[in-house]
Amino acid sequence: MGVITDEARRWADREYPRFEMLVTAADIAKFAHATGETDPVHFDKDAAVAAGHNDVVAPTLFTYVVRMHASALVPPDQLEPDGSPTADVPPLPTRRAMAGETSVEMGVPVVAGDVIGVDKRLANMYEKEGRSGPLVFVEMEFTFTNQRGEMVARENFTRIYR
Amino acid sequence: MTPLPGVGEEAPVQNRAPTALDLFMFSASAWLLHRIHYDTPFTIEHEGHPGLLIHGPLQGVYLVQTAESWIGDRARLTSITYRHLAPAYLGDELECGGTVTGSDDEGVELELWARKKEGTVTTTGKARFTKR
Repeated sequence: MGVITDEARRWADREYPRFEMLVTAADIAKFAHATGETDPVHFDKDAAVAAGHNDVVAPTLFTYVVRMHASALVPPDQLEPDGSPTADVPPLPTRRAMAGETSVEMGVPVVAGDVIGVDKRLANMYEKEGRSGPLVFVEMEFTFTNQRGEMVARENFTRIYR
Repeated sequence: MTPLPGVGEEAPVQNRAPTALDLFMFSASAWLLHRIHYDTPFTIEHEGHPGLLIHGPLQGVYLVQTAESWIGDRARLTSITYRHLAPAYLGDELECGGTVTGSDDEGVELELWARKKEGTVTTTGKARFTKR
């Protein structure tokens, strides 16, 4: 008995508009402080330039910030009571989401002043029978590129709905 | 430059115990609005958790930092995969570590983990470093 209906598959496989974000030195510093980074290349332009970058450089996995903005930077009336974006809630009986596997391939670094764009598409959708009922796995592929068209990162992220 | 570590060598363990402030900063920096990371009454009463959850992606960053601070300038992180096995809550102290599981002319492969003091592994990962 499957829970993934045609409607649910169309929902997951819809067109996702490209999202672009101008990354500032403050965006980089916030993420770096939040994760306990202390290397001055994330905070101090001179240190970053001395290390061969054009400006302060983002820590590894900063692209997470870009993809969260892409889905959650919406008016408050487009959020669920738990704070998650309504657009991410699938038309499925299994609505509670949890993070599954994340796989990231690194490209060129992100530096302050870059405009990072993210393209998102459905990579895979399938279900399994869990201990407490069906589990639906939705795997999305994110491709991050900068203003020069260089690949910054490619990420596959699986969200599990139960 | 010191050669890259060989198979079986272990990264120095990093202890990470994020505070409520750290969790809030991570949510705010990413514009991650999910209340289970900053709203304690909601998290306990509506989601049935004992307390605020440490973000999965934050644990992913901890794994990266554990690996990158060990490998240093010797090689560049080219890919990482991680998955969450159990929830981690505010107040948990996570020991983050890693072991070299593969080595060739191009670089090294590491297995990474974050686990609670009492032994529960919350996140595991695999990272690939390529010589510069």
